[in-house]
Amino acid sequence: MTASQIIFYLISAFILSMGVLSVTSRKIFRSAIWLLFSLIGIAALYFWMDVQFIAAVQIVVYVGGIVVLIIFSIFLTQQSGKEMPKAPLLRTIAGALAVLFGFAFTFLLIDQYGFPAIDQPFDNDVARIGNAMLNTEQGGYALPFEVVSILLLAAMVGCIVIALKTKPEEK
Amino acid sequence: MSIFFLLLQQELLLTAIIFVLLFVKLSTKQWNSQTVLSFVNILLVVNLAAGFFFKEKGTLFGDMFQTNDLLRFEKNILNLGTLLISLQAYNWLLKHKHAIEFYLLMLSTLLGMFFMLSSSNLLMFYVGLELASIPLAALANFDLDKKRSSEAAMKYIMSSAFASGLLLFGISLIYGMVGSVNFTDIAVAASENPLFLFGFILLIAGFGFKISAVPFHLWTADVYEGAPVAVTSYLSVISKGSMLFVMTSVLSTVFANLLFQWYNIVAVLAVLSMIVGNLFAIRQQNIKRFLAFSSISQVGFILIGMSGANIESHSSVVYFVLVYLFSNLAAFAVINVISEASGKENIDDYKGLYKTNPALTWVLAIALFSLAGIPPTAGFFGKFFLLLGGASKGNYLLIIVAALNMVISLYYYLRIIKAMFMDANETPVEKLAISWSPKISMAVCMAGIVVTGIISGAYEYIYSLLK
Repeated sequence: MTASQIIFYLISAFILSMGVLSVTSRKIFRSAIWLLFSLIGIAALYFWMDVQFIAAVQIVVYVGGIVVLIIFSIFLTQQSGKEMPKAPLLRTIAGALAVLFGFAFTFLLIDQYGFPAIDQPFDNDVARIGNAMLNTEQGGYALPFEVVSILLLAAMVGCIVIALKTKPEEK
Repeated sequence: MSIFFLLLQQELLLTAIIFVLLFVKLSTKQWNSQTVLSFVNILLVVNLAAGFFFKEKGTLFGDMFQTNDLLRFEKNILNLGTLLISLQAYNWLLKHKHAIEFYLLMLSTLLGMFFMLSSSNLLMFYVGLELASIPLAALANFDLDKKRSSEAAMKYIMSSAFASGLLLFGISLIYGMVGSVNFTDIAVAASENPLFLFGFILLIAGFGFKISAVPFHLWTADVYEGAPVAVTSYLSVISKGSMLFVMTSVLSTVFANLLFQWYNIVAVLAVLSMIVGNLFAIRQQNIKRFLAFSSISQVGFILIGMSGANIESHSSVVYFVLVYLFSNLAAFAVINVISEASGKENIDDYKGLYKTNPALTWVLAIALFSLAGIPPTAGFFGKFFLLLGGASKGNYLLIIVAALNMVISLYYYLRIIKAMFMDANETPVEKLAISWSPKISMAVCMAGIVVTGIISGAYEYIYSLLK
C-alpha cells in the first residue's frame, strides 16, 4: 500500500465516522457539527484528488454556507440542548442491516466488475470550468446552469412563502 | 438566431410568464386578486395556444436540449392540464394571500418538466427533475394554516430527497461505466454488466418514485390527502404524466439493449401497482386518499402498455395520459368545488349528492366511469390500447391479471357512484352555486372524455407523431 492510498483510507474513515456520529447523535446541534466535520473531510478528499478548485468550492459552499444556515435554523426553531428520543432497537438493527447489505452489495459489484474508463487524464483548470459553464456549444453547460438558477429562484420563493406564514392566534 | 427562439418557444414563454408574475408580485402597487387571477389565466391560455403554432425540431446547446413534434405535443398536454387546474383553483386562490407565488412555483415545476422531457442526457434530466420536484414540496404546504399540509410537504420533500439520492447513485454508476452522460453514448454502451444493471435499476427506482409505482408509492396517499386539492391534482396528473412520458421514451430508446431486463422489471412493477393500488383503494374513506390509490393502480395499467416497447404501445401510453388527464381532472374539479364550499372530503359525505347537486354528480360519475374504463368513455379506449400494446409481447398472463384488476377497480369506482345516486343521507352537501371558472374546466374535461373516446383522431394523431 502506498502512502497515497493510506491517506485516502484515513480521509475516508474520517468522513464515514463523522457521518455515523452525525446520524446517531441525539442532540441536534451536535449532529450539525459532526456533519460539518464530515463535509470538511470531503473537501480533503478533493484536495487529495488534486482538484483544488472544487475543494475550495466545497469548503466555501458547504462548510461556510450550508452548515451555518443549518445551525441558524436550529437556533431559530429547535431547543438545541434537548436530547431527542432514542431510536427503537428494532429500527436501529434494521437500519444497520440495510447499510451493511447495501455496502456489501455495492462493494462486491465494484470490486468484481470495476469501472472501465478510469485513469483518463482530465483538465480541471479553473478557466476551463468557467468557459464550459457559459459555453452554449457542444460540451457547454450554459443551459443546466441557467435552469439551476431558476430552481434557486423557485426554492427561495417557496421558502419565503412557508416562512411568512402567519401563526394562528396564540391561546 | 431565430431558430433558437423557435426551438425553445415553449420554455421561453413559460419563463417569461414566471418573470412577469414575479414583477407583478414585487411591484409596489397592490393588485386586486381577481384581476391578477384573470390575468394569469389569460397568460396560460396564450401559453397553451402558442404551443400549437410551431413545428420546428432540432437540438440546442450541444446535446443538452432537443425538441420534436411528439415532445411539443406532450408539452401541450401538460400546458392544458395546468390551465385546467388553474381554473379549478380559482376560488381557492381568490381567498389565498399568496396566489401569485402559487403560480410562480407551479410554473417553475412545469418548466422543470419541460426540460426533463427535452433532455438528451442524464445531467439535464436530473436538473429538470429537481426543478420539477423541489418547488412542489412548497406547493404541498400551501394550506398554510393546516398542519396536515405541512406534514404532506415534509413527507414529500424527505421521500423525494431519498429518491433523488438513489437516482444520483444510479447515474454515477452509469457514468462510471460509460464515461458519458449522453443518451446516445449510453444507448451504445448499455450492456448486461451487473454493475451497469445495478445503476439502471437505481434509475428505475427514481422513475418509480415519481410515478408512485408500488413499491415506491408509500408517500403518495399521505401527501395527496394533506396537500390542497389543486396541488393534489397537479401531483397526480401533471407530475406523474410528465414522468411517464420521459420513462417511456428513455426505456424504449436509451435502454433498448436491455429490453429483456426492463420488460421484466416493468411487468413486476405493473402487477404490484395494480394489485396493491386496488386493494387499498377499496378500503379508503377519504376521497383524496381514494384517488391516490386509484392513481397508483392506473399507473399499473400504464406500465403494462409501456412494457410493449413498440410504437403502438408508446402511443397508447401518451394517449392514455391524455385521457387520464381529462378524467382525473374532472373528478378533482368536483372534489375541489365541494371541499371548497363545505370542507367535506369523505366518501360518506358524498351520499345523496344527486338530490342536491345533480350536475356535479353527473360530472363525477362520468369521470369515474372513464377511470374505470367503461365504454363509450375515453377511458375504455385508453385501457384497451394499453392492454393491446402490452399484449404484443405475447405475455398473456400479464394481460389476464390486468383484466381481473379492471374488474376489481370497477367495484370501488361504482361504490362511489352508488353512494352519490342511491344512498340516503340526512345531511347531504347543500346545493352549491358553481362559479364560471370550475364550470369551464369541467366542460373541457367532459368534452375531452367524450371527444377523445369517440373520435379516433386523437390516437391516430399521436401514432403519426411517433412514426
